[in-house]
Amino acid sequence: MIRFEKVSKAYPGQARPALNSLSIDIQKGEFVFLVGQSGSGKSTALKLMLREQRPTTGRVYVAGKEINRLAGWKVPRLRRQVGTIFQDFRLLANKTVAENVAFAMQVTGHSNREIRQRVPETLELVGLDGKGDRMPDELSGGEQQRVAVARAFINRPMILIADEPTGNLDPGNTVGIMRLLDRINRSGTTIVMATHDVQMVDQMRKRVIELEHGHLVRDQVQGGYGAQF
Amino acid sequence: MQLRYVFTELRQGLRRNLSMHVAVALTLLVSLTLAGVGLLLREQAQLTEEVWGDELQITFYMCNGANDRNPQCAGAVDDSQKKVITDALDDNKYVDKYEEESQEQAYERLQALDVEGVSGPDPVVKADDMWESYWVTMTDPHHSAEIIEAVAGLDGIDHVGDVHEVTGPILAAVDGLQSAALVGAVVLVIAALLLVANTIRLAAFARRREIGIMRLVGASTLYIALPFLLESLVVALVGIALSGVALAAVMYFGVEQRLSSTAVTQWVGWEEFFSSFAIVAILGILLTLVPTLLLTRKYIKV
Repeated sequence: MIRFEKVSKAYPGQARPALNSLSIDIQKGEFVFLVGQSGSGKSTALKLMLREQRPTTGRVYVAGKEINRLAGWKVPRLRRQVGTIFQDFRLLANKTVAENVAFAMQVTGHSNREIRQRVPETLELVGLDGKGDRMPDELSGGEQQRVAVARAFINRPMILIADEPTGNLDPGNTVGIMRLLDRINRSGTTIVMATHDVQMVDQMRKRVIELEHGHLVRDQVQGGYGAQF
Repeated sequence: MQLRYVFTELRQGLRRNLSMHVAVALTLLVSLTLAGVGLLLREQAQLTEEVWGDELQITFYMCNGANDRNPQCAGAVDDSQKKVITDALDDNKYVDKYEEESQEQAYERLQALDVEGVSGPDPVVKADDMWESYWVTMTDPHHSAEIIEAVAGLDGIDHVGDVHEVTGPILAAVDGLQSAALVGAVVLVIAALLLVANTIRLAAFARRREIGIMRLVGASTLYIALPFLLESLVVALVGIALSGVALAAVMYFGVEQRLSSTAVTQWVGWEEFFSSFAIVAILGILLTLVPTLLLTRKYIKV
């Protein structure tokens, strides 16, 4: 589903590359944690998967497409197959919960009938049944992140990329979001999640890819945050 | 494509950046009006040249036996005299070409100027009062003296009209006004371009969160750019409409009400107005849409 072949990424003006000859292969339906310290290259790897950046050398394949060669006008189509959630939720403050979720369908050309049908279904899936008319600032952090998950998942992407999705949440909400992501993963969606949350990675016992200074230092099935697992 | 979102964004965008849009529309109004005035002046210069002959022409008026100025004239010019005159013109190396104008043609041209006493049931001036003439185009206007010297003294020539003396100051004034209008238009076009660029940047900044989300969920570039393009188009249409009104006012109050009563030349009319306005309208749309297209590509790059 996602494959990096000797991928390096150097940013102009930086002495050390953000990624250095990284090769990884993520299969369809996997749940993968991407761990490492700040500056290890996690965010760059995620940006490459989303085609927000292009690799300096090497090849990146996402959903069967080599993204280096993907023409600009085909990028939106790729992104419809890849949902994204972030630490800061990125909700639109002037829209209700339902409107925020519907926005992802509106701007990708779905009909009103589809939107009316799928938005309540997805809100129910993420545990926000009955809260569609609330504004984002009326919700807790955990609930706001659920809205973001609903928006990322409403177009039923093949891949879900999560960049520190529990970074702003308390332990209780973190568990709730992780259960939700686990549920989505069980429906066949591949999940790649960058995180610093040691406890949560240790508990989930999923595949762990650890980066350090842009190098792959560990790729462990059912791993924990530290190498002792 | 869901157009409801696009139109909602368009409405919000127009409201949010109202002061900038007004500034762009007003700048467009002045720059396009100046450009339109420049185009009308160009048309006016062409009309003046058509009426008076261009700057390279001198005219030899021949005796008509009715109101000759030259005491040497003994009746109307005859064919043998005309032959001598045309031979002299043919032999002169400073003559590029020449055209003969009959008394009737001269009279028609005078009528076109709508001079009092020429038209109507009992005109003061008639075709017989006009002179037959040769309109000579020179290879170089500095050598008019050589041609005049060779032809003016021939039998049958009444007097010489140096058109340059009449049209020179008019054409120079029209040229000067046209240049001033175009320079003003260019300066204001640059101002309009910068204002459009600033407006797009502000609008993109105000909507950066929506744009970021749209990019991530896979909205097409056209869909993201459409509200910006429509916003620019609306502002352009307002600016063009205002400049159309201003140009029409120039035509009505300036040309129709004042100048058309003076019969110095033929003045530009509504036909010239519409052709100039069409060019101005295209210019206005290009001025706003091209920078919008370029800048939205930059600010909302996928």
